[in-house]
Amino acid sequence: MAKLLEKIMPSEKANDAKGSLGSTRKSLNSNLKDIIQLLGVLLGMIAFAAILSKGVFIQPINLYNILTQNCILLVVSLGQLLIIITKGIDLSVGMIVGFSSVLIVLTQDFGSVLPILFALGAVIVIGIASGCLVHYAKLPAFVVTLAMSQIVYSIGKVIGGGAAVYSGFNGSPISPGLLSLYTDGIFGIQYPLIITLVCIIAISLYLKTSIGHFTYTIGGNQKTAYLSGVPIARVKITAYIIAGLLACIGGMLFVARVGLGDPQAGDALTMDSIAAVTVGGASLSGGAGTVVGTIIGVLILGVLNNILNLLNVPPAIQPAIKGGLILLAVYLNSRKISER
Amino acid sequence: MEMREKLGSYLSFLNKYSAIIALAIIVIYGTLFVPHFMSVANLKAILFQYSIIGFLALGQLLVIITGGIDLSQGSLVAFTSIVAAVLMAQIGLVPAVVGAVLFCSLLGLFSGLLVSRTKIPAFIVTLGMLGIGRGLAKFVANAKPVPITDEFFRSMGRAELIGVPLCAILWVIASIMLYQFLKRRRLGRYIYAVGSSEESARLAGINIKKVKLFVYTMSAFLTSIGALIWASRLGSGSPIGGIGYELESIAAVIVGGASLYGGTGSVVGTMAGVMIFGVINSILNLSGISPFWQGAIKGILILSAVALSQIQMRRSRKA
Repeated sequence: MAKLLEKIMPSEKANDAKGSLGSTRKSLNSNLKDIIQLLGVLLGMIAFAAILSKGVFIQPINLYNILTQNCILLVVSLGQLLIIITKGIDLSVGMIVGFSSVLIVLTQDFGSVLPILFALGAVIVIGIASGCLVHYAKLPAFVVTLAMSQIVYSIGKVIGGGAAVYSGFNGSPISPGLLSLYTDGIFGIQYPLIITLVCIIAISLYLKTSIGHFTYTIGGNQKTAYLSGVPIARVKITAYIIAGLLACIGGMLFVARVGLGDPQAGDALTMDSIAAVTVGGASLSGGAGTVVGTIIGVLILGVLNNILNLLNVPPAIQPAIKGGLILLAVYLNSRKISER
Repeated sequence: MEMREKLGSYLSFLNKYSAIIALAIIVIYGTLFVPHFMSVANLKAILFQYSIIGFLALGQLLVIITGGIDLSQGSLVAFTSIVAAVLMAQIGLVPAVVGAVLFCSLLGLFSGLLVSRTKIPAFIVTLGMLGIGRGLAKFVANAKPVPITDEFFRSMGRAELIGVPLCAILWVIASIMLYQFLKRRRLGRYIYAVGSSEESARLAGINIKKVKLFVYTMSAFLTSIGALIWASRLGSGSPIGGIGYELESIAAVIVGGASLYGGTGSVVGTMAGVMIFGVINSILNLSGISPFWQGAIKGILILSAVALSQIQMRRSRKA
């Protein structure tokens, strides 16, 4: 941490560096406090669910199912986290999941690996476009990504003929290797969980690199970041590219799980990922948010879904509950920040 | 130097009327190159379909002038249509319509409260409301469409007055009223003041909270009227209706010359913006282009309109 800060701050500003070092330490402590609080909420919810279901809930198989069911959301939320840390927002992640699922299924004629590379390539282009529009054209992130979501959704419908797709352009079925992702695994752990774990580790490591750490610097104060010589364009555009790549992996997992590609596949994921990231303690005013918090945020959403089902709450009202949850989380976070 | 000034005034003239000029160009193109475009039936169809978006856009305009945004409109369309349909079966036409408008406006009031009293950004508040509205609509309707049996209500959406769709006439009347309101009433001027600089508005003694509360409530109110027309034309309330309508209204307002940063925007521009989308939509349909492309075209139009207004702003700041 200290080394990184020295890297950012020129040596003449040693005093300033000391000052911000102190505040970093403080915010580290409060980060830890936030995470303990979140864990408390999660454990409380698990206990509540366990009592409601008379113990069925905490059986290992059910807990394991909650993990596998929320893999896609977790992967997508990690991307959302990166963008929210830069003070942006990505309203297109859900549609990118759907678009990549369609693209992967339609290109099945080219084998089992090439389609995924195609999709990854396509979302890199989308990420660069969004990132450039946000950074160079200085357009608000939510407008850029909202428009991008429409464009991507529309292209997904055009290439797929408007509906879900089940096979490649030439009629090749979805490769068995892809479909077996959800049935096979190593050491009894299903591949989606392993893929998710790899994504978590990769993003954690990325945030530790100097360019990854700059993500926080930009979100905290873009002007300071600029004056300290942070390559803002590179950091920001990378964030949008990574978010796109993670959404694409989410699309791949969707194909593996459901066995089809659907332009609407990720409809709910945009809202859910924002909910998970904000519940996980990230601030929409940028500069704050952690991978651990986001993981807990996703789990809280997953357990909440389970509790709602246990309570016989109709699934129809769940968007309302998630919407309310986002508002509550953002409100609490913004109050916390103004207190500091 | 003189050349430059001339160019500047020329540009500002273009900017002021750009939406209308663009609309004229597109209409001329349609008339010349697209068969059946300039037919009474087609023009009527455009008006029928886009006066609904027109109402939404008027509400969106008010919010955008204050520098905010309303992403909840599409969900509120579904919510209003469901409430109207459910209530109509229970308590009759007039109370149902009043009730639906009231409930929808209440949701808008709630958004307004959150935007004006907390530090939550407008797009998050209304994104949350998008979820809440959609969830409530599905919950009330049990996730199924609710048919409307009232014949009078169903006929209103298709009614014509001297050959012009009634809903389009209502839209024009609402637009004129809003134009007068924004030009002549004190609260109307305050909306622009809050949008151009909140700080100056506050120092000038304007009650910013009240202004913001008003615009979000108005946006929901106007949305509910559009929703009633929509439900009347559909003959039912639908919990999955109106998806993406907020995008069309935002696009229309931005194409109509408003800036997302607030302080600018006009009723006339917005009307032209709505019609631009109606006409483009119609041309795409008549030329046999896949309706699936429409989202992409809308997205690109929004991006270019926002980018243009951004360039304009930078230029005026430099000057």
